[in-house]
Amino acid sequence: MLWLLIAPTAILLTAFMYYPMVGTVIESFYQTSFINPRPQFAGWAIYEKVLASREFSEILWNSVVWTLGVVLLQNVLGFLVALLLNQGLPAQGLLRAIVLLPWILPGVVTAILWRFMYDPQLGLINSILIRLGLLEDNVAWLAESRTAMAAVIFAAVWKGFPFSMLIYLAALQNVDREQIEAATIDGAGPLRRLIDVTLPAIRDVVAVNVVLTMILTFNYFDLVWVLTRGGPQNATHIFPTRIFETGFGQFRFGEAAAYGVFSILVLAVLVAFYVIVQRANAARRHTA
Amino acid sequence: MTRTIFAATLAGAVMATAAARAEPVTLQFWDNQQTESGLSDLQKGAVDRFMKENPDVRIEVTTIPYPEYQQRLLTAVQGGNAPDIATLDQIWMGAFAAAGAVDDLSEMTGKAGPKRDDFFSGAWDSAVYQDGLYGIPFNVDVWQFSFYNKALLESASVDPQSLTTFAGLKAAGEALTRDGQFGIGLFGHKGEDTVVVMNSFVFSNGGRVLDETGACALNAPEAVEALTYLQGLVPYAPKGILNASSGDMRELFLNGSLAIEFWPALEQPTLQKSKLDWGFIAGTAPEGKAPVGTFGGWNLALFASSEHKEAAWKFIEFMVREDVNGDVVDLIPANKKAAEAFLEANRKDPATVMAHLENAAPRPLSPRYLELADAELRLAQEIYGGAEVQAAADAACEAIDALN
Repeated sequence: MLWLLIAPTAILLTAFMYYPMVGTVIESFYQTSFINPRPQFAGWAIYEKVLASREFSEILWNSVVWTLGVVLLQNVLGFLVALLLNQGLPAQGLLRAIVLLPWILPGVVTAILWRFMYDPQLGLINSILIRLGLLEDNVAWLAESRTAMAAVIFAAVWKGFPFSMLIYLAALQNVDREQIEAATIDGAGPLRRLIDVTLPAIRDVVAVNVVLTMILTFNYFDLVWVLTRGGPQNATHIFPTRIFETGFGQFRFGEAAAYGVFSILVLAVLVAFYVIVQRANAARRHTA
Repeated sequence: MTRTIFAATLAGAVMATAAARAEPVTLQFWDNQQTESGLSDLQKGAVDRFMKENPDVRIEVTTIPYPEYQQRLLTAVQGGNAPDIATLDQIWMGAFAAAGAVDDLSEMTGKAGPKRDDFFSGAWDSAVYQDGLYGIPFNVDVWQFSFYNKALLESASVDPQSLTTFAGLKAAGEALTRDGQFGIGLFGHKGEDTVVVMNSFVFSNGGRVLDETGACALNAPEAVEALTYLQGLVPYAPKGILNASSGDMRELFLNGSLAIEFWPALEQPTLQKSKLDWGFIAGTAPEGKAPVGTFGGWNLALFASSEHKEAAWKFIEFMVREDVNGDVVDLIPANKKAAEAFLEANRKDPATVMAHLENAAPRPLSPRYLELADAELRLAQEIYGGAEVQAAADAACEAIDALN
């Protein structure tokens, strides 16, 4: 009976998740392209080629910088804004709605918006920075290798921080008020209360939020693609953009699949980490 | 008894043939649309005309937006659902031919119908792969024309004709770049427009992308000289070349902050709608040489899987006919006579456009063109980013030769 109940879910998962995933792994051992539509077994050759290329190490490094940069900034900003919105400010509902706006926007719309803002000649960013005296001349944020990744990360953080904020805000509202009041009576200032009471109370949520945003960010495609297409040179190429470019831009499906397999491996590690964090949280709640 | 069965079978076969004759043949024709020109209505008119002339053939037209056209075609071919006829980008011809997805039309053109002389030679060559002819040129354009803002050139005392030479263009760039204004709309984002502009400077300097043996020639002296020249134009271009496209340059050109932009002739309708006082010259070459543009455009191909090849060929012949071709394209008709009439009616200075089309060269017809173009893109980004040109060209050639 139990098997009958879980069968529909198992069938759907197999058909729509595991079959494509296994298919990607198999495809990565075959040379296929539009002009050679019949797959030719290549063994480890594609992996050797990918691993030996300079691009792979660039993409791996970019993916690490991109993921850590976005996750760190998005969570810090999300947490700070959540703290602010948890202070019982006037028009709190409206403020929350406004803060949520970037997250609601589709990724492509966000990217187009930021492309305009970063425009070296007509963009708002240069205009503001020059007026403030922080820049002397226009900067091509998305076209220079030294600034492109930071610019893309900044846009992603702008779009993503409301997601983290929402989760932190929910967690902050569940912190025991009595503990905070007791700490206040004991003479703890706001920073001490934050470090000793609030953060320990929401650490499970922080851990889950960090791992979740890590998985989502690693898989992010549309924003980076529309902003830079992975350029200039390979300065902002990450796994998803490289997979798309190789598979659907150049129709080298075997190589795209190999990049996909590396991507799956990284995600598997992150998912395993997520499961460990969840289990640890559950165990802690059980013992508490 | 045997006779009766034979007679019945024969009668059945005759009836089936008659029924088949009575049933019109339906052809699937796929095309894409790059510009907002109301082309679909015009194509519909032409298709209706074809069906009137050929009542036994029905044409079903599918128009697909350009960004998804290639993917849809490839999926259809691989899934065994290819159309009978489709327009193919010149740069896809090698791949489709090598995959056996489209038919060699050499025999068809050998008998009657379209001939090389009827078309721009560069466009015809764009359909020739390993001595076979895998398409008939349908529409064309050429990269690049240099469109200029007359007022800005006048204020800097730059003679527009000077833009036709390497030295003149560079000097103009220097004179026109000042006070938040830029001289030359050079761009180098990851897009095909970057490749075709780079190619046209290489071609105009006597260089090539591939030599006659198919080996990369981008590191040959003529190509390196042209690439070095392009690198020298960077100071006169708006900032952000490596993430800028021809579309970005158009914005600056239209708002008056850019003096010269590079586009094919299809830019003319946009500029005609603007309030800008503009002119154009055809490409740029060293003193004493004629500029050689890079062809862009589409060919009509007959798919190998078509079950109605005779009718499909009839339709291709119809679409490239002098009296039809001009009505059914959103670029310039590939049929030279139709092109003359089209340019006369729709473009400023048609003689200059025509001459540039006559002298343009196609991009390399490689079955791995997309990978080749990717290596060229990396080269463009390297040189616009300030890399040493010979070393960057050597690296590009190493990547391109590895494709063989």
